[in-house]
Amino acid sequence: MSPMSSRDAGSQARLDGEARATAADGVSARIPTRTVQRRIAYPVKQPFTWWTRRRGYLLYMLRELTAVGIAAWMLLFLVEIARARQGAGGYEPLGGPLFVAISLVCLALALWHSLTFLSLAGLFMRIPLGDRTVPPRLIGRAMFGALGVVTVVIASLLIWGGA
Amino acid sequence: MTSHDSTGSSARHAPRKGPNRVLGLIWAGFATAAVVGAFIVPAHILIQGVLGPLGVPSFDRHYDTFARALSNPLVKLYLLVLFACSFYMLAFRVWYVVRELGVPSKVGVGFVSFGLSGAGLIIAGYLLFTGP
Repeated sequence: MSPMSSRDAGSQARLDGEARATAADGVSARIPTRTVQRRIAYPVKQPFTWWTRRRGYLLYMLRELTAVGIAAWMLLFLVEIARARQGAGGYEPLGGPLFVAISLVCLALALWHSLTFLSLAGLFMRIPLGDRTVPPRLIGRAMFGALGVVTVVIASLLIWGGA
Repeated sequence: MTSHDSTGSSARHAPRKGPNRVLGLIWAGFATAAVVGAFIVPAHILIQGVLGPLGVPSFDRHYDTFARALSNPLVKLYLLVLFACSFYMLAFRVWYVVRELGVPSKVGVGFVSFGLSGAGLIIAGYLLFTGP
């Protein structure tokens, strides 16, 4: 019997439905024939409440839910715009303690989104500065500074528009 | 179609060639919307939602000032961007979170979340560009 190459040996193993050893990474494994020929999905099943197990998971889920609060407040703003179509007689801006309370919750969520997302800027932005790059902490502070400036400018315009 | 895996064996399903450009575009859109939203959304909620009802002047507290602002094309465009960023963020994050909570359908959840987001944006555009 002539000596077989590694690929021939693997093919022979598949034909025989036997286990074989992986050659590329040097890890021996007994792999059934089907896994070689067909991809098999291994869905990760976890309970619905997996995000309550750790504080980090909870904060992650809270960060994801910030979009819900922001969009909900935007829907309320759309209601105001729709009311404005009825003319001066039919227009009534949203107000009252309930609206302010909802807005406070939405504001907290929006700030949480801003805080978490702008904090990432220092991680993924690489600004070359000579032989080095701008420190991530500096980028993060610049983003928060920009947030403050933009907030003041927009708030001034909104107030000026109503004066 | 066959391909060779790391062990040199062949498989029936070849991996997708090149990057997933559609997913890349979706992610790029999310990054843009999230950054723009992070900058401009808090000011609106603070002034219009909290301080305005408490007595601070705001452009939406009276019909005259609100209608005058909404009649400006630049304001319309700006507000459309504001709504687009907010609804896109919602669609993208819901798309991921719902699957992370155990719903297996990637395409179905994406269709629903981005569809509702698009519908919201269309309504916003209609209200803005056909209003006062």
